[in-house]
Amino acid sequence: MKSLLFFYSFVFLIYSNFLFAKINLVTTTTDLAAIVIAIGKNNVEVMSIAKGTQDPHQVSAKPSFMIKLRDAQLVIAQGLELEDAWIIPLIDGSRNPKIKKGTSGYLELGSLLNPIDVASTQVSRSNGDVHPNGNPHFQLDPIRLGQAAIIIGERLGQIDPNLKDFYQQNAKKFQEEMSVKWNEWKKRLVATGIKEIITYHKTLNYFCTSFGIICQLQLEPKPGIPPTISHSLELIKQIKDKKIHLVLIENYFDRDSAGKIKESIPDMRISPVPVSVGGEAEISDNFILIEKIVQLFEMKK
Amino acid sequence: MLKIMLFLNFFYFFYVFIAFAQPNNSPTINQSLRTPNVSANALFLYRNTTSGKFSNSIERNGLDIQETEIAFYSDVDPYSSLNVILSIAPEYEYDATTDTVIQDWIIEPEEAFALSNYFSGITFKLGKFKAEFGKHNLLHSHAYPFVDAPITNDQLLGGEGLNDVGASAAILLPFKSFYSELTVQYLRGEGENSEFSSKNSNDGISVMHWKNLMDLSDSFTMEIGGSYAEGNNSMNAKTKLIGGDLTFKYIPLSGGKVGSLTLAGEFIGRNQEQKNLTTSYDDENGKGFSIWAQYQFTERWSLLTRYESFEVKNSEALVNENALINDKTIKKSLAFNFNATEFSSFKFECDRLEGPPMNNGKRDENRIFLQANFTIGSHPVHSY
Repeated sequence: MKSLLFFYSFVFLIYSNFLFAKINLVTTTTDLAAIVIAIGKNNVEVMSIAKGTQDPHQVSAKPSFMIKLRDAQLVIAQGLELEDAWIIPLIDGSRNPKIKKGTSGYLELGSLLNPIDVASTQVSRSNGDVHPNGNPHFQLDPIRLGQAAIIIGERLGQIDPNLKDFYQQNAKKFQEEMSVKWNEWKKRLVATGIKEIITYHKTLNYFCTSFGIICQLQLEPKPGIPPTISHSLELIKQIKDKKIHLVLIENYFDRDSAGKIKESIPDMRISPVPVSVGGEAEISDNFILIEKIVQLFEMKK
Repeated sequence: MLKIMLFLNFFYFFYVFIAFAQPNNSPTINQSLRTPNVSANALFLYRNTTSGKFSNSIERNGLDIQETEIAFYSDVDPYSSLNVILSIAPEYEYDATTDTVIQDWIIEPEEAFALSNYFSGITFKLGKFKAEFGKHNLLHSHAYPFVDAPITNDQLLGGEGLNDVGASAAILLPFKSFYSELTVQYLRGEGENSEFSSKNSNDGISVMHWKNLMDLSDSFTMEIGGSYAEGNNSMNAKTKLIGGDLTFKYIPLSGGKVGSLTLAGEFIGRNQEQKNLTTSYDDENGKGFSIWAQYQFTERWSLLTRYESFEVKNSEALVNENALINDKTIKKSLAFNFNATEFSSFKFECDRLEGPPMNNGKRDENRIFLQANFTIGSHPVHSY
């Protein structure tokens, strides 16, 4: 009797392990991980390779990530060559053929979200470290985040058909909430009167495009090239001509890189800005991240 | 016996692979079907050394192309990928009759191998490749932390390192909390590696490497590895290699790369039986280590320093056509590296050597290098 009870308990344990098994995912960034958690809730186990405080261009292919990828059923990447230098060797090292780029276990979102800043002419490395197929930093556009959630929800539903409706409903809810918040954020940003800003890199271009703000000028003269004195002097001229009052520096870049501008224009507001979930301690999801950026615009000083 | 077991294992795995493998029907996106990924790298070097002034020196002072590499890689099909890396480099030979050094250009496959990850947990490799022995042996010249390889690697593994045609299986061991990989390889034994140049074409080289990497925290890792290689040499006797490596790496999680620190050490020992048809000699014993550190003090500048010690005993030139010089060498290096971008970098290095006497009878040598490193094509991999 005891052994029968033990046997049935063992069978139930094994069965329930499969029945209630979570989908094991790896994302390249914390922003994608946050969307996955919003959709999958307790039915997903997700890990982000890049931390919210890291420049996703510069992540090292640490072998310990291969252990996580070995067991992953799905990898979600921002794409458009943002992560290629490290995610591909990590996937190769994981020896998990199911998540190889090009298979159904690898989902790259950027090209599916109507990317901006697509090169219209031939580019080379003389233009800097460019992304010719489009800007990969869509994580700050509420509308595109909502579209990404729908795509992720569909993919989760393919992996776990039992919970397909659950994932798709949550994805739809995420998209709707983002759409509602977009309207609120738009009104608040218009109220600030800020029409143009300067950033270090093109990380905020989607945010700016979404909310009708001009983000054409960057502290780096070309992508991947640190600020130079001559470029800073050119920027100062444009700041004065265009009456730009705000410089936002992505918080994984050197905060002193706008020093020349601050010297010339002492009342210029120069602020570090988090650009990923986890970029600051309290930024635990995509909504809080964008709210934080909007608040930076609203700050007077 | 080990050779037979390794061959049987490879034949078994390939049989199972061919018999049961099912192609993945998902289309490959974002990759041209006609054009592989291509990249090229060039290393230019200015050298000014004490020994480079001598007329018979094959490492001549002045400006030179150290090496260029052209790499092609792409998926072959759902089962495998192919990597071909060609090396183009000058080769110098001293002609004693004319007392001149003659330059030739060599184009050769640095590596050319097919790779398959189709079986979960195992990477198979077939072709010509750098053997998984230690850490430095796997590096290509443009990825060296210093201008040249450690003396121990150069002397005990050969100028090109342990690099030969063979087959390899690398298994990711099923530990959950740390990365552990076991690699077994069988090499042909007919490459440039003089320490294994057996005259019998059936003699190959067995190589084993165990690599472990632990996250001590999100920003701090420790890697520890052990290597072993064994094969017959030109004297129809055994050569054995052992190696150990230890690396600590700190990469901050915010603020870019500034403050990154690497501390690394590697040891190689070689024991070579020496004999001819009539006489056995003492085993040649060579061993050495290098320890080095790299500190990133700005986003683009780093400081590197290295200390090396290498010693050979009992190398017998009478019977060993690849005999080393029985002596001890100490080398100290200091370098500054400037990464203009991910695609170009410049290195300034000073070395001080104390070793076997040079042409001028002196044991001390000073070296200065200035190296420029350029890469075009596909984005370089962020190796760890």
